Amino acid sequence: MDSENTSAGARPHWDSDAFGGLYEQHSRCIYYLALRLLGNPTQAEDATHDVFLKAFRKIGQFRGDSDIRTWLYRIAINHCQNMLTAWHRRNIVSNADESLWETTPHRSDSPFRILETKELGERIQTTLDKLPEEYRLLLLLVANEKLTYEEIGEVTHQTADAIRGKLHRARKAFAAAFPKSTTTQS
Amino acid sequence: MKPDPSKLRQKQHEELSVELSQGNSLKKECEFTTVEEMIRFDAAQTEVPVEIAERLSASIQTEPKPPRTWWRRFFG
Repeated sequence: MDSENTSAGARPHWDSDAFGGLYEQHSRCIYYLALRLLGNPTQAEDATHDVFLKAFRKIGQFRGDSDIRTWLYRIAINHCQNMLTAWHRRNIVSNADESLWETTPHRSDSPFRILETKELGERIQTTLDKLPEEYRLLLLLVANEKLTYEEIGEVTHQTADAIRGKLHRARKAFAAAFPKSTTTQS
Repeated sequence: MKPDPSKLRQKQHEELSVELSQGNSLKKECEFTTVEEMIRFDAAQTEVPVEIAERLSASIQTEPKPPRTWWRRFFG
């Protein structure tokens, strides 16, 4: 559990009912982000719990100059990155040579076809695990239709143009790494 | 009285047809044109464990209450 300095008096407009509404609205996207970043359902549960508890404690510091959704994402990303750093997981793929993805032949306009949707999550996870952490994060954030490139840039401390460029490479990397046996690229 | 073999065969054939058609429906192919579309579909299928909300509720109960203001302490 995260133990940050908190000021109990710094949440004047916060109550459990409002918190319940916030949780209902955003828990799915935060849990899914944690699940795919960490690759472990139990750790994703812990992370989601800790993220919302941290939000509860720090809501008084939320200035409201950004969307609360991007604020929650920022907390979630920091938390997951701390967990990953602490566990020294995925370091090898995080340092993967990005030029490898650039030179991998593929057709970006080819559809991804799968036969069993129940295995989709595993295949996505396997593919994401092969990507550099930044690509993984960008793909997960942009898949959320409610986040604009500007908001993703705000969350990841980059410009929208930088996001566009990296997303292009991230998509290519994902397409190249997606299991060939389950992808029929025509 | 023995059942008519031809009727048994017909029944078995019908049952097999039903099983095959069910099998085909399970193997319905899904196609996604973009990575984001596929991830979005996966996210929509992913359920948030209810245990998280229960744990969170319990954790919040243990959080310190906001301190009462001086005038509330004074006037009740």
